[in-house]
Amino acid sequence: MSLEAPLTAPVFATLLSLAQGEKHGYAIMKDARQPEGGGIAMGPGTLYGTLNRLMEQGLVLETGLSDDQRRRYYQLTESGHAALTLELDRLRAVVTANAHLGLATQERPA
Amino acid sequence: MSTALRLVLPVYRAAAWLYPPRFRRRYAGQMHLTLRDAMADQSLPPASLASTLLRDLAQSLWKENLDMLKETASRPLLLFNALMLAALATVLALAFYAIPQQVLRQDANDPQLELVGNAALRLQAGIPVAQVISSSPEAQVNVAESLSPFLIAFDEQGHVTASAAQLNGSTIAPPPGVFDYARTHSEERLTWQPQPGVRLATVIHHLPSGGFVLSARNMREIEAREAQMGQMARLLWLAMLAIVALGTFLFGWLRPSPARVHA
Repeated sequence: MSLEAPLTAPVFATLLSLAQGEKHGYAIMKDARQPEGGGIAMGPGTLYGTLNRLMEQGLVLETGLSDDQRRRYYQLTESGHAALTLELDRLRAVVTANAHLGLATQERPA
Repeated sequence: MSTALRLVLPVYRAAAWLYPPRFRRRYAGQMHLTLRDAMADQSLPPASLASTLLRDLAQSLWKENLDMLKETASRPLLLFNALMLAALATVLALAFYAIPQQVLRQDANDPQLELVGNAALRLQAGIPVAQVISSSPEAQVNVAESLSPFLIAFDEQGHVTASAAQLNGSTIAPPPGVFDYARTHSEERLTWQPQPGVRLATVIHHLPSGGFVLSARNMREIEAREAQMGQMARLLWLAMLAIVALGTFLFGWLRPSPARVHA
């Protein structure tokens, strides 16, 4: 594993999406758009560039499965899980350390 | 399909050819399927998808090509070849400047060689120096302004005996060390700068009977041509370096590292 914290938004969103199980490209893109998935709008170029680098780093692999429309599916490796866990721990620590500022609990105007 | 998507989709599909071939071969089909899924998704506003695609194109094209360029630069053999070609381009550009510059500089001496040779022959034949070199005011060459070659005669000690040249109204003479060299080698060719900004292509001949004849002319025009050559050599050098860089980039683009092809 050779990712440096903090992870980029596309990497974080991709790992987060694949943490839920095997997914194909558009499913990852769709998850990433959700607030709980990172809330970012990725296009196919960014998505497959990110998947390519994550596969080269051994954090993601192609499952070898393909549906009837020839979509390829991807899944996290153990290293991928570890990288995501580290990033979530890091974010959690940041939130905890700054809780006294009261920023996290403020309600935003509609 | 919305107007925005109708405009963006052809651009996006055409621009897919700008991805490095290795990336394109591996992911173009998947990217196409993903795009088709995105277009079929009714929950995704078309205008939002169009802007996402445009931003994605700009960011990912840059990123993938930069990634490929980094990989190319990390291939020792390719880098070595590029550096050797850059060195060769540098040598060629230097030669392109230095060889014509030397030829121009040598050619600048030709009229003076002829004048000095003729004057030396006439002086050795016993013709008085005043008849060989006219010192009359109307025959004087202003060396700062005129491009005409001129003659000056000196005695064995380096004192002016006749001169057809003036600078700021005064007769001029080269540094004494120049005569020492001409005395032992019979001739000296040099660039003489009697004052800043005035450079003269100079030939000095030592007469067997004693004394010296000097001929020179202002190098202003020659130096302007040399500067032009220098400018052209610099442009040639930059063009060759650009070709080497572009060739290396294209090679890396079309022939990725075997290690990464099988990654």
